[in-house]
Amino acid sequence: MNMHKLLASISKEAKIIIRDREALLLLFIMPLAFVLIMSLAMRDAFKEKGRVIFPIVILDMDGGRVGREIINAFSNTKYFRVDTSPNNEERVREDISRGNHKFAVIIPAETTRKAVSRAKAQMGTTNYKQAGALSIRLMADPTIQAVHRSIVISSLNRILQGIETKMLIEQFAAIAEEATGINIGIQQGEAAKIIRIFSEVTDEYTGSAGGNAMPTSVQQSVPAWSLFAMFFLVIPLSVAFIKEKQQGSLLRLKSMPVPAWVVLAGKMIPYFVINQLQFVFMMLVGMYLLPFLGGDALEIGNGPGGIALLTISASSAAIGYGLLIATFCKTSEQATTLGGTSVIIFGAIGGIMVPKFVMPSFMQKLTVISPMSWGLEGFIDIFVRGGNINNVLPEASMLFLFATVCFSIAALRFRFMFR
Amino acid sequence: MNSEIIIEVEGLYKTYPGAAQPAVHGISLAIRRGGFFGLLGPNGAGKTTFLSMLTGLLKPDSGRMRIAGLDIIDNLNEIKHRLSFVPQDTALYPTLTAGENLAFFGSMQGLSGSSLRMRIEECLNISDLNNFADSRVDTFSGGMKRRLSLVIGLVNKPDILFLDEPTVGIDPQSRHFIYNTLRKMNAEGMTIIYTSHYMEEAEALCDYIAIIDHGSVIAQGEIGHLLSQHGAANLEQLFLALTGTRIRE
Repeated sequence: MNMHKLLASISKEAKIIIRDREALLLLFIMPLAFVLIMSLAMRDAFKEKGRVIFPIVILDMDGGRVGREIINAFSNTKYFRVDTSPNNEERVREDISRGNHKFAVIIPAETTRKAVSRAKAQMGTTNYKQAGALSIRLMADPTIQAVHRSIVISSLNRILQGIETKMLIEQFAAIAEEATGINIGIQQGEAAKIIRIFSEVTDEYTGSAGGNAMPTSVQQSVPAWSLFAMFFLVIPLSVAFIKEKQQGSLLRLKSMPVPAWVVLAGKMIPYFVINQLQFVFMMLVGMYLLPFLGGDALEIGNGPGGIALLTISASSAAIGYGLLIATFCKTSEQATTLGGTSVIIFGAIGGIMVPKFVMPSFMQKLTVISPMSWGLEGFIDIFVRGGNINNVLPEASMLFLFATVCFSIAALRFRFMFR
Repeated sequence: MNSEIIIEVEGLYKTYPGAAQPAVHGISLAIRRGGFFGLLGPNGAGKTTFLSMLTGLLKPDSGRMRIAGLDIIDNLNEIKHRLSFVPQDTALYPTLTAGENLAFFGSMQGLSGSSLRMRIEECLNISDLNNFADSRVDTFSGGMKRRLSLVIGLVNKPDILFLDEPTVGIDPQSRHFIYNTLRKMNAEGMTIIYTSHYMEEAEALCDYIAIIDHGSVIAQGEIGHLLSQHGAANLEQLFLALTGTRIRE
């Protein structure tokens, strides 16, 4: 008999939710908008497919060996996207100032000839005199982060040091050949073949099953805003509950032979289903819509059990919190303000709005107080670190614990109200 | 009218937390099966608190309440199957249709399947809302909502119907409809207990009344007997004579 009542209660609540189109739109369109905007807008600020790509313009007015080697060196690393099409310094400067280009390397005319002369002078084979070292200039968009500027500057310096070393070796080889009569076999421009002793350094990731340690903007945004939307359900859930109190229908129910758990479960189950639909919808957006719009496709790893566990635990936490708000607030205005504000604060602290890894360390420590952070860490464990259901047990347990605490307090309060 | 007592109340007390005075102060009364019992009193007299305790919505601090010989506190679930409560607010789901509201509350009363469908049909007939079964309640007038609220109280065919000011703020036609429906239900044997501020209404409907003030019953009995006992021409005169003319908050 109670099962029939429960089904009737679920059916009633589902009809009320479906007919509240504005609330439904909010629960699905709001996270969709955030995921699309944040994933696309922050694409370059995150590691894309495992690395940051710096777009760089090289204006080669030298046309000689130094220019070629700088272009080759930047082109041959996977961290730069080289554009050599601009051919006018004024135009490059203008484009940088307008933000059209982020970095530009300017190689003055005659650089190769002067560099060779300077190398010979260094080795004492000529008496060529030069006032100072040659200058290769780097222009940067002033809005670029200092850390990114430092990376490009040190990369350029490393390339120039390489060219210098090669040129000096070649001069040394020439001196040695001349002094000993032995052909060392290093002609001008050939030193590059022998001077590489160490291989290119690559970063080594320590995920459970390999993969990138850092999420792409899509791997961050999709679970983050899905969790935010799941918790945002606190508002319609608590408002619906308070309206039921205010309109007297809860009082009428109290006078009927209905257990309190039927009333509570009848409310929770439809919202739980909505949470699951929200999550599936956001996953599909990440996997299929974002690549269509120019973003990366969401890679979800190989932990479907872990994803399901996290979704269920996050939904339980959101619904438990919603019931807690509903049973303590007297008006729907109170519930909207308290519920909405606290969810936004949970989101801000929990790494939803600002990714955890860009926060200072004390703020990173603070994220542990937000249940959204537990959920997000769990999803990143699976999506990025290749984790499975075992890896997300701590996060899921925390979410279930949070749900249990909220639900227990709300149930006690409700039983007191329903008594 | 049946002389069998269906509701017995003895020494009922209730004080809300933090309140200086008890809301209900030692009420004792008996209501006969098939009676039409009016619970009258000024604002804040304790009517709703008393009604809430009789319907199991509120626990008394002390005292005894029995319905059909069963203690209300000990047999609440069983008793809830026999009664129905129509609150002061219309207590409906505005985005559901009239039929859906009846189906939901009928299910909560334990009805299902064909018996539920049959009762929905009957209640829509009683309330004259057959043509609005599929219309959302938020499109209804105040009177239509009151009618629907009343028949939701009838969906389980209760032995006892409790109504808390069922005719507040509605048009004369809907009020007339509610009078007639209640009279008909009472004539069919349903015990009705209701509260009201409308003395004319109470005089026309009730055969027995209790006037409550400051949480205590200050008068109870058959209307005719009370009027002659206090030398009052009508119930309003009697009410004002017993409760005073001071405006209550």
